[in-house]
Amino acid sequence: GRHFYPKQHRSELEAIVVEMQDPKSGVKGSEQKLNVTAIPHVITGKDIIAWIANKMKTTPEESNAFGTMLVAYGYIYPLQNHKKLVMCNDTSLYRFQTPYFWPTQKWVAEDSDYAIYLAKRNIRKKGKLEPYEQAHYNHLHEWLNHKWDFIVMQATEQYKAGKERKKPDRVVFDCQERAYWILNRPPVSVCVCVLLCVFIYTNMFYQQAIMRSKVKSSVSLGALVKYITTYKNHDPFLAPCLPSNPWQTDNDTYWTLNMRRVDVPTKMRVERWSFSLFELLTDLRGRDDFKIFLKKEFSGENLAFWEAAEELKWGTASSMSAKAETIFKTFLAPGAPRWINIDGRTMGLTVKGLEHPHRYVLEAAQTHVFLLMKKDTFFRYLKSPVYKDIQKKALNPEPHNFSPAQLEQNAQNRSPGIHPIILWQQEEEEKAKAAAASAPVDVKAMMSKIDRKK
Amino acid sequence: MGKEECKTMLDALNKVTACYRHLVIALGSTSDSQNLREELKRTRKKAQELAVANRTKLTSLLKDKTISKEDRAEYERLWVLFSSSMELLEVDMKRSLEIGQDFPLKVPTRHLIQTGMTGSTTTVAARAMSVQNMKYEADSNIDTADLRDLQSEITQVSQMMEEMEMKVQVAPWAVEAKQEAGAELKSNMSVGNSSVGVISICEEEPKEEDGVLNVYIATCE
Repeated sequence: GRHFYPKQHRSELEAIVVEMQDPKSGVKGSEQKLNVTAIPHVITGKDIIAWIANKMKTTPEESNAFGTMLVAYGYIYPLQNHKKLVMCNDTSLYRFQTPYFWPTQKWVAEDSDYAIYLAKRNIRKKGKLEPYEQAHYNHLHEWLNHKWDFIVMQATEQYKAGKERKKPDRVVFDCQERAYWILNRPPVSVCVCVLLCVFIYTNMFYQQAIMRSKVKSSVSLGALVKYITTYKNHDPFLAPCLPSNPWQTDNDTYWTLNMRRVDVPTKMRVERWSFSLFELLTDLRGRDDFKIFLKKEFSGENLAFWEAAEELKWGTASSMSAKAETIFKTFLAPGAPRWINIDGRTMGLTVKGLEHPHRYVLEAAQTHVFLLMKKDTFFRYLKSPVYKDIQKKALNPEPHNFSPAQLEQNAQNRSPGIHPIILWQQEEEEKAKAAAASAPVDVKAMMSKIDRKK
Repeated sequence: MGKEECKTMLDALNKVTACYRHLVIALGSTSDSQNLREELKRTRKKAQELAVANRTKLTSLLKDKTISKEDRAEYERLWVLFSSSMELLEVDMKRSLEIGQDFPLKVPTRHLIQTGMTGSTTTVAARAMSVQNMKYEADSNIDTADLRDLQSEITQVSQMMEEMEMKVQVAPWAVEAKQEAGAELKSNMSVGNSSVGVISICEEEPKEEDGVLNVYIATCE
């Protein structure tokens, strides 16, 4: 079982307070006589300061400062002028605060507690709260609205329970509570309105954020699991590259086999195309294969449009209006040679936007076309002879098994690889060939041409 | 009907929580005593009984898929009431452990803070327990033995609240309160018995019961 260790020590400040209030060696208290009742343990400021000066061997000024600190922290509270938390070196009256209301970093003065307190005070004052209290009340009523039933219920019950105590204790309790909240929610006359505006604004922001549709974590976590399951064998950190990871073995076969324009891609690469249309299109080799399929189906205009939109997005600013015009003539105009079948609303918005073209003017149409391809064409491609054919032909290299000596040799034989300029030149040649060979027009090649001209 | 039973139990839990708060505030002060410790213990145990009963009832109500939308919204509102009460209770239990440890009773010299509060809290505890009078069992070890129990009870309550959060999917911020601002003023206790304002001292003779409150506040303010 758990061990119970009584707290052997308290903070130094608390230790001083405990000594200060000691009936024998502490500050001498007196009684506050009111009508037929008397409330004990009332002390004067000058007595407190004298005691501190004697105990800690400090000057009256230092003692006064120390006393004020005790009030500012909330170990002692003033009975008169309760809003001014200072120690006065005169006959001003003070009392010790109950330990529950002592300052502690562990327990923050909560808004819901403050709301309950204000509601209780509202009952006592019959709705006549002070202006700053009313401001806090209104703000909390909005901010903690979902808890308001609880706040009213708890306030009412605490109020009723308080009435069970004897008169003097009730008075003391009210003073204690009031002192605690003066300290933790000080009256602010000027800035409340500004603060309230800030609070209300942030509250509105959060309310809107709450109104947005939420995804259940079970759903999002499910999606994450699905992603991991799909991609884990393709992650070079989690699964080995075939034939080997060039960074580890200094043999770059892996890169050579996976270049942009290989005739025969690897099995892993082909598998990856089946994950999503996005993967298929992002890998240019995959996109090529998809184009072969589309040519057979005579439905290449969607992809052509999609590529044209990409060209517009990534191209030069100066080429934009020329491209926009070409796109309109080729894909969007009534009776266009490669008219794309998108819904009327999107078509209308796109055509209007093309009057003043910018990089993302085709975003809506491109997304629509992408979704059309994703829902229909993509799955037919995966079932097609084109894809099955390339799956069969795809290479599955044997894993390398280099000895340490071989690895050393690999390291010595490292070469810089093909220069990027050469790669680019090769790319341009291929595009030109494709442009010449294919009909209808390879829009991508044409667009790049426009880019280069400008 | 399930709803009414729930509301009654929640009212009871709310009342006990409020009383417990009053008792904890007296800890460590000149109102502290063996009796107070025992009152705290009993009130707390009652609160836990009510907590378990409420939780069982509400979870079964919320699990029912056949309830109407309005009913569901109402049960969710009751759930927020319940969990708010539990939050408050849990904090006060933890605080009572701390303060109880800081101010032991079974020592040669007690160092209870002279706060001006000296009376007993029996009537508050009696209210919590819904009894006329409290009967105490003399146990001089109450402050140590009970604190051990309190520690394990706090763990139990924390665990219960964690389970609650996991099992019941209620978004507290989505609940709409039934009470408007100032609803506490309509409470039937607040009319008549509450103290008259400071101003009335000069005007008419306030009732003896409330007069002390006013005069005292007047001298303080």
